[in-house]
Amino acid sequence: MSSDATTATTGAAAGAPVPALDGPAQEAPAHGIGASLSPADARAKTEGTFPYASDLWAEGLLWAAILRSPHPHARILSIDTTAAAEMPGVRAVVTHADVPGEPAYGRTVADRPVFASELVRHHGESIAAVAADHPDTARLAAAAIAVEYEILEPVTDPEKAFAAEPLHPDGNLIRHIPLRFGDEGATGEVVVEGLYRIGRQDPAPIGAEAGLAVPRPDGGVEIYTASTDPHTDRDLAAACFGLPPDQVKVVVTGVPGATGDREDPGFQIPLGLLALRTGCPVKLTATREESFLGHAHRHPTLLRYRHHADAEGRLVKVEAQILLDAGAYADASSESLAAAVSFACGPYVVPHAFVEGWAVRTNNPPSGHVRGEGAMQVCAAYEAQMDKLALKLGLDPAELRLRNVLATGDILPTGQTVTCPAPVAELLAAVRDFPLPALPLDTPEEDWLLPGGPEGAGEPGAVRRGVGYALGMVHMLGAEGADEVSTATVKVQDGVATVLCAAVETGSGFSTLARQIVQEILGLEEVHVASVDTDQPPAGPATHGRHTWVSGGAVERAAKMVRTQLLQPLAHKFGMSTELLQITDGKITSYDGILSMTVAEAMDGKELWATAQCRPHPTEPLDDSGQGDAFVGLAFCAVRAVVDVDIELGSVRVVEMAVAQDVGRILNPAQLNARIEAGITQGVGAALTENLRTARGLIRHPDLTGYALPTSLDAPDIRIVKLVEERDVVAPFGAKPASAVPVVTAPAAVASAVRAATGRPVNRLPIRAQAAVGVPNS
Amino acid sequence: MTLPASLDEAVAALTAMPAAVPVAGGTDLMAAVNKGHLRPAGLVGLGRINEIRGWQYQDGHALLGAGLTHSRMGRPDFAALIPALAAAARAAGPPQIRNAGTLGGNIVTAAPTGDSLPVLAALEADLVVMGPLGTREIPISHLLAGRDLLAPGELVAFVRVPLLHAPQVFLKATGRTGPARATASVAVVLDPARRGVRCAVGAIAPMPLRPLEAEHWIASLVDWDAERGLAPEALTAFGEYVAAACIPDPPGDEQLPPAVLHLRRTVAALARRALGRALS
Repeated sequence: MSSDATTATTGAAAGAPVPALDGPAQEAPAHGIGASLSPADARAKTEGTFPYASDLWAEGLLWAAILRSPHPHARILSIDTTAAAEMPGVRAVVTHADVPGEPAYGRTVADRPVFASELVRHHGESIAAVAADHPDTARLAAAAIAVEYEILEPVTDPEKAFAAEPLHPDGNLIRHIPLRFGDEGATGEVVVEGLYRIGRQDPAPIGAEAGLAVPRPDGGVEIYTASTDPHTDRDLAAACFGLPPDQVKVVVTGVPGATGDREDPGFQIPLGLLALRTGCPVKLTATREESFLGHAHRHPTLLRYRHHADAEGRLVKVEAQILLDAGAYADASSESLAAAVSFACGPYVVPHAFVEGWAVRTNNPPSGHVRGEGAMQVCAAYEAQMDKLALKLGLDPAELRLRNVLATGDILPTGQTVTCPAPVAELLAAVRDFPLPALPLDTPEEDWLLPGGPEGAGEPGAVRRGVGYALGMVHMLGAEGADEVSTATVKVQDGVATVLCAAVETGSGFSTLARQIVQEILGLEEVHVASVDTDQPPAGPATHGRHTWVSGGAVERAAKMVRTQLLQPLAHKFGMSTELLQITDGKITSYDGILSMTVAEAMDGKELWATAQCRPHPTEPLDDSGQGDAFVGLAFCAVRAVVDVDIELGSVRVVEMAVAQDVGRILNPAQLNARIEAGITQGVGAALTENLRTARGLIRHPDLTGYALPTSLDAPDIRIVKLVEERDVVAPFGAKPASAVPVVTAPAAVASAVRAATGRPVNRLPIRAQAAVGVPNS
Repeated sequence: MTLPASLDEAVAALTAMPAAVPVAGGTDLMAAVNKGHLRPAGLVGLGRINEIRGWQYQDGHALLGAGLTHSRMGRPDFAALIPALAAAARAAGPPQIRNAGTLGGNIVTAAPTGDSLPVLAALEADLVVMGPLGTREIPISHLLAGRDLLAPGELVAFVRVPLLHAPQVFLKATGRTGPARATASVAVVLDPARRGVRCAVGAIAPMPLRPLEAEHWIASLVDWDAERGLAPEALTAFGEYVAAACIPDPPGDEQLPPAVLHLRRTVAALARRALGRALS
């Protein structure tokens, strides 16, 4: 398997070079669909003048600090806030006894206390909060709260959670899905097995959590924060405040990085409580440590697999057991598990599949929604299995995969038929046929290209190159019957359009897409996107690429309604239908070009408004054998990784990632490429360095020194080899969301390449150096 | 915060306010302050003391100012003098850190992963310490081992390093390609005048470790009057000797855990590569 540095090019088919999508092949439009429009706030963000939540200020504001548990599992015997409350400058101290409404909250089930009352279930759980006139006073006061604990044995091994004492009244099993598809007795001629472990990736947003809560004269409160799901956050917060939802308003500030849920109610609710208590604005800026302790992580996962195939390498049966460590609270674990179980076989045709999945409670840090959750963990495992099968059958790994790939019309193990475009074979062929990168020259000038990097210890003689493949899939939009709806309003006045939609711009590019959609339909160049708050109708969470689809669809419909309102009187006047009129460059022209009028004239000082909703076709929950049409749409991607490994030190450098992705339709080429590159880089982080380590439930290094994100030197060359534009007929504009699937696929591809370079099994992510130390002289 | 313009003023300021903490680049100190781990009663800023920002020559030694930044030490003119220290300085974190962080700060912080420390240990550098009672010199190993601590009012002013005019190598293994703390580092310096090879291993223990027996053994094999080359087997044996000295086998039948075994292999590979490069 291990390809020696001099023979590493053998895997490349000598096909003609595929042009990468670098240079513009044709004249790109300046605006509308297909334009590389840049975000309206790009300049302010680059120059550092964009106000994030941590930059907000209000007259007379107080500073909040949260007291967090130093233990992963303990009984609270007493909480004494007297000393803290008496400190000069302290204005309020709140604990579980001061929560006027619901004592607990949660996105799926309300199982998470606002403040721990009897038990703490994870390191960093909130116990009390303080508001004071100086951030240091608040922190010192929080530290002065005397909490007496009876330390309990933490449950940190998810395998032991089944038999352990319940950590929560709801029990330790959050969800179990036994997927049964086909004939259990089926067997293949070749069988491979494996046990895989995936670590705890953290979303590690560049801007840590921050917020400002301002009490209102009517007894309500406004919370300014970088929420990615403002309406849900508002409803959860209002329930805990004991207020009707319309008395709580969440105003979304700029989002400084989000690849998962952000600013979860765990930060917002204490903040709002303190503002209501003191009658003053209260601000909270989390430290990096608090950020790591407070937000949700990717589920650490344990996976056991057995693949059966026939002698030609066609899959016969897949058996798998998937165990997700949910941490102490349910959060989004149920959906992560559904994705993990449903995609446990990957984008391959599998006639028989038996997959058991569990999500269990432990005293480890809480897990939740992080881009590509569930799908990323299983991808690493099923692709490792495909490599094992290829090795056992003596087949080329890409060829083995090609023999099994899924296509439109095939049936997933959940019984759902793939109705959307699924050009998996085309994607794989594109990355396989792309020319391999050149080997570095053995000169001092290229020393920095060795694993270990510049000033590293890399030695050319110990470096082996490996090439690996992975295919990944994700679902788009919420699954299993989630009501995926978004509402948008488009307004046109004086030739300027404004979009009002509560879809949060997380950096995913939605607000730019919304501008482009309106430009395309209304032919107006100047389009603004209003900032988001909960006075607008809900648009749902900014996850699973939903907003490209549902909010984009709502914006499209609203813009079309405005267009009709604008053109109807003219059509009547010109004596032709509205379809025969077109709007370009602020001018309305008839099909034959004879009649024309500027938009401003046609508007005649009027204001046009329209509001529309987009609600994709409904889905259904997986039943008790894991069957059901649970997903609205699927997206696919193929990645070929090329790595250099120093087989003595086990240091890995990812040389190149070649990506081919199924995108439906390219709405904004520059933004699409950026999203894919970001996803691949996050995936490389998960493959090599990103793991929030714990010891007996305690987070060991909650900082960016201990938690190693990829730097610019770690980010590989990313070649976007092919973007397949096969429009998904049910999606607005036929476009598929693009951010998640590269994250899912990249780690598996890196692992596959390290396997090829070292001849080692590589069954754990991130790949530890000792697992990448090669077999000597091989 | 006071900003003295000379070492004498700095010593006077520290003596007047013993609870104050001297700060140079602040890359470690201010991070601890920001995290709330440290709340110094006062700060004595060393940034304006020009006499510790450069170096001078003194009977075969270089007297390095404690305020030399890592960026400055990484430049070619410095690398021609003390190549291993320059290599360590270049490997010490991202440019922002190297621009601010100083040699003296790296020593006084004494973090196990301080990149300059194994180099200074291998060079057997001495620290010139100034205090209210005058100037004294202490070997760096004494400070790092806690045998001789800085007294109140004292600060590290200079570092005296021998100029050996021979190859020196610093190698560092990390967990990622971009700047990161060392998982293990090795400095190897040749001292042809004394026919010695000196080696120090950093990051695997609270202070740099010197495998003295391995040094003596390998120095006895080197042909100092000729090409100084060694057979690959000798280099490998040196690497393993160094690694076994720094990470000894546990007593009895116990096995080292896999992560520690990997660390030992890493030290062996680094030591072998470092000596090989120094002798090539």
